[in-house]
Amino acid sequence: MGSYKQQPGSDASEIRRDGKRVAGKQSFPPPGSGGSEPRMRPRDLDYIPETVGGREPKPAGDHIHDRARTGTSVGKAMPLVDSNAKVTGQAWYGDDVRLQGELIGKILRSPHHYARIKSIDTSRVEALPGVIAVATGQDAPNRFGVLPVTKDEHAMAVEKVRHVGDLVACVAAIDEATAIEALSLFDIEWEELEPVFDPKLGLEDHDEPIHWRGKYHLARTNVQKRVFQEFGDRSLVNSPHASSHGTWTMSGVHHGFTEPHAVVAHWDPNGRLQLYTPQQVPHYTHRALSTVLDVPMHQINVVRTFVGGGFGGKSDPFPHEMCAALLARKAGKPVRITFDREEVYWINRGRHPSHIDVKMTADTDGRISSFDIDALIDGGGFASFGHVTSYYNGVLATAPYELGSFHYTGARVWTNKPASGAMRGHGAVNTRCAVEVGLDEMAESMAVDPIDLRLANLLPPHSRTISGFRITSNGMREALERVREGSNWSEKFRQLPLGKGIGIGCGFFISGSGLPIHWDPKNFPHATVHIQVDMDGGVTVHTGAADIGQGSTTAVAQVVSEVLALPVDMIHVRSHESDTSPVDLGSYSSRVTFMNANAAIRAAIDVRDQLLKAAWEMLGYHPNVLVLNDRRIYYKHDPSIGVSYLQALHKAQEDTGALIARGAYRSPPMGGVHKGAAAGLAPAYSFSAYVAEVDVDVETGRVSCTNVWAAHDCGKALNPLAVKGQIIGSCHMGLGQVLSEKMVYGRTGHLQNANLLEYKIPSVHEMPHVEAIIVESSDPEGPFGAKEAGEGPLLPILPAVVNAVYDAIGVRLRDLPLTPDVVYNGIEKHMKTLGLDDPLDLPSPRLEHGPLQATLEARSEAHRERDRLRQRSEDTSAYVNGVLFGFDPNRPLAEQVEGWREADEPLPEQLAELGFAGRAWLKKEQRHMGGDA
Amino acid sequence: MTYGEAGTTMVSKEHVPMIPTPKGRAWSATVNGQPVEVLAPSNAVLLDVLRDKVGTLGVKRGCDLGTCGCCTVMIDGEPQLSCLTLAGQVEGREIITVEGLSDGAHLAPIQTCFATHGGSQCGFCTPGFLVTSQALLNTNPSPSRDEIATAIEGNLCRCTGYQQIIDAVEAAAAMVRGETAAPSPASDPHHDPHPAGPEEPTMPPGHAK
Repeated sequence: MGSYKQQPGSDASEIRRDGKRVAGKQSFPPPGSGGSEPRMRPRDLDYIPETVGGREPKPAGDHIHDRARTGTSVGKAMPLVDSNAKVTGQAWYGDDVRLQGELIGKILRSPHHYARIKSIDTSRVEALPGVIAVATGQDAPNRFGVLPVTKDEHAMAVEKVRHVGDLVACVAAIDEATAIEALSLFDIEWEELEPVFDPKLGLEDHDEPIHWRGKYHLARTNVQKRVFQEFGDRSLVNSPHASSHGTWTMSGVHHGFTEPHAVVAHWDPNGRLQLYTPQQVPHYTHRALSTVLDVPMHQINVVRTFVGGGFGGKSDPFPHEMCAALLARKAGKPVRITFDREEVYWINRGRHPSHIDVKMTADTDGRISSFDIDALIDGGGFASFGHVTSYYNGVLATAPYELGSFHYTGARVWTNKPASGAMRGHGAVNTRCAVEVGLDEMAESMAVDPIDLRLANLLPPHSRTISGFRITSNGMREALERVREGSNWSEKFRQLPLGKGIGIGCGFFISGSGLPIHWDPKNFPHATVHIQVDMDGGVTVHTGAADIGQGSTTAVAQVVSEVLALPVDMIHVRSHESDTSPVDLGSYSSRVTFMNANAAIRAAIDVRDQLLKAAWEMLGYHPNVLVLNDRRIYYKHDPSIGVSYLQALHKAQEDTGALIARGAYRSPPMGGVHKGAAAGLAPAYSFSAYVAEVDVDVETGRVSCTNVWAAHDCGKALNPLAVKGQIIGSCHMGLGQVLSEKMVYGRTGHLQNANLLEYKIPSVHEMPHVEAIIVESSDPEGPFGAKEAGEGPLLPILPAVVNAVYDAIGVRLRDLPLTPDVVYNGIEKHMKTLGLDDPLDLPSPRLEHGPLQATLEARSEAHRERDRLRQRSEDTSAYVNGVLFGFDPNRPLAEQVEGWREADEPLPEQLAELGFAGRAWLKKEQRHMGGDA
Repeated sequence: MTYGEAGTTMVSKEHVPMIPTPKGRAWSATVNGQPVEVLAPSNAVLLDVLRDKVGTLGVKRGCDLGTCGCCTVMIDGEPQLSCLTLAGQVEGREIITVEGLSDGAHLAPIQTCFATHGGSQCGFCTPGFLVTSQALLNTNPSPSRDEIATAIEGNLCRCTGYQQIIDAVEAAAAMVRGETAAPSPASDPHHDPHPAGPEEPTMPPGHAK
């Protein structure tokens, strides 16, 4: 990282380097301070709530806005800036784009799980009156994919189809009826191939692997990616004081956004493609279109429409987007393709069906000496984000706890099913559930309270995880304490009657992926924002940030309004078109608010400096003693000396016209050097803790969740209304996964519930009361201290519910979702073991605190003080995972203990004892076999 | 949808249209207070007619199967799924879509409250929820939380977790009853203050310390 530039666009107007507060400047750390200055300075203490070690008294009540402290709009609950468009029906989603003379496109989908296309005859289709254009895979042979390392998709099948519903061909016709009609007229000769549905079989060699990766292919298996990570001293594992081992089967789930995919493509008379699509990451679509259509990127304008829910499901470049562009090119007219609900499931990209195995051990002091995770994930027909998912399944379990050792084997295999991909809580959700339930089980065998076990093993703020992630602010402890208090935990846990239960779960998630998918971080920033202020005083902000309903546009407007001290309705955010918006990487990995708002702050500071300079000329006072506030700029010591915002603006643009500024954000250099070190790296991490209460009907196995206390550390809630919406919405989505949602694949591998009737998304009646608790730890790197709130809040609800079900009936269930049949089977099996006839006689689990409880309570008390000092930057000593085990954080751990290992490949002697997914390491890559290609 | 038989080439035969498309005939109704007359086939679904012919694109298509509630419209005051309604069934009736709830920037209380209470995130399901809740408020100006939940049970929302939607409907009910004041519409004339003078400027952010 020798030539790494710390921040793009930084210039001499850096004002805070000297450490002094400057009048009129907001007291947030400079964006991107994390690299050179990883800690908050002591002066920021005034802005850190007392509860996490600062001096700021917590505002009374529910985030009451104190203008003198938090400024114009940050921290205020405000409606989304585009909400009026949404409530009046004027928000335009994909299918609402209607261009003159549009044609309707339809896609022919594969009826076979796995088959070679021997020939396609389109003559009958073309002969049908009303059909204007037909395209097949031969029209676009270039491959694409969201990750440059795994480009394995085509616009339509070129050689073979890889799942039922895979794209085969498409037509554009004058109306929908004609287009549907045309689909029945394709004459296709197929050669069916042997499909693979079970990911376990995907680990074995096949005659015809679903994809072929040439010399990097793993033997002849369907393994798309295998991962091995091992850190720490494995000798600790051998003599555990307590342990837990769980084998999980998790069904695939779908995002279930309400808007089906839709796209409109139009080649304008100048030969430029205008593509309207509800995309979370328009930029990657832009790149893929350029590759597939073989036109330069500057000849394509990607217009992001309003997005009717994304959750990760609209973050791949999609083949139907290519189809629309191809058809429109052939037809010379705009083409609109809208999916029906079934097609949404065929394109999928939902959460991976997973087989997860988690072992963990604790030592006699109640310290967690190891996590062993093995995750076999079912990728479906294409790679999508799978490369990353394979890592996330392991590495995102390395915090918030301090671990003695960590061992992860993961494999993602291709199967002949619709492709899995990124979904809210990407890769972290399933293992997090398994780990948190394991901790609950281990706490039980140690006879301690599971919350105290967690509190006594937390990593402190400003520390480093075992895999090398840099933790900055950390509100985990406060989150745990607040849900414990809010839920009245100590009077309920293990004390409720049969059928009623309470459970705890924690979460840890990235706030923006530290490395962009496509870009060399040396060459481009992660996010760029342009600001333009013309004579009317309105501020136009151009950003490529894709608002998918989470409110990123609002967040950008808020931070600009905050820096310029203008009301938020004077800020207009334009974010739809790639022609006018600077490049942004999109809405994934919870990066938008964090990175975009940081870039916007930078740009706004630039504008403010221009205004202050103009005021300097008018008033004769240096900007250092000028204050910009509420549409006025005035002398700090005598507010009667001042000019209005408009006067200063007009002065500033006298010679140059409208004020223009730009700002950019790039995450600082971080992390280790081992293979895969970049996966899971983020400039900041969010933490959360939930307590869930459930009712279980022991006679039918029906589980209903009644109450959730949900505490999430989002750094600083820029917009508490939006943060609460994210927390409650995450609970809803997580509850769906843990209780009812499931993509059902039948015995023949066919997806059986590709509709919203049989794919059971919780309705209003299944929704518990959620008490959303916002924890603010003020992150030094985040915009005004903010971190993510979009994905992290989903993680803890799953284990909280599973643990609560155990508390209610005393049965550990490890098949998700916990549908009544799964729960009742568990109850029946348990009754058989106990020799009971009536489920109403089941004993409820009870807890008698063991001797370790006092040790843990004392340690968590000591750690609370440790964390407070670190959060207040009074203690700035280094802290790495391992200090709890007696290591010196200033020396390499490998020097301090024999057997300390940091490995990304298994040792030969380990091969025999690897977990299920670990078996992928028994296979050799083709390049080591002297094979073909 | 039918596809070619596995392993064989389908033999071309004379083409028989799979979907009968009857000729368009005049269809009329009152949509959002305006009489509308369009050409639509006799088997047309109301959702298609509203979106493609009448142009009320605020009516959303989420599933076509009556499972999501995004396409809910009010027909003679009753919320009804337009994807499961034939246009012919509601010929001449009074139809209100989300566009009919507001008057320009003069939002209905239910619309204002959905915005201010976070009842709308991505906004795709919002038109359906608004129409359903408005229909509830028309008949019951003080619904309990349970009554609201029962009214919106046919509407699917994937973003909000429903809690803030129920909050919004409760707040709107209070506004409808006149207990809280509706905000004045943003499009009303209002001057833009850019104070230059010394009259009691507020202190700068952070000044308190």
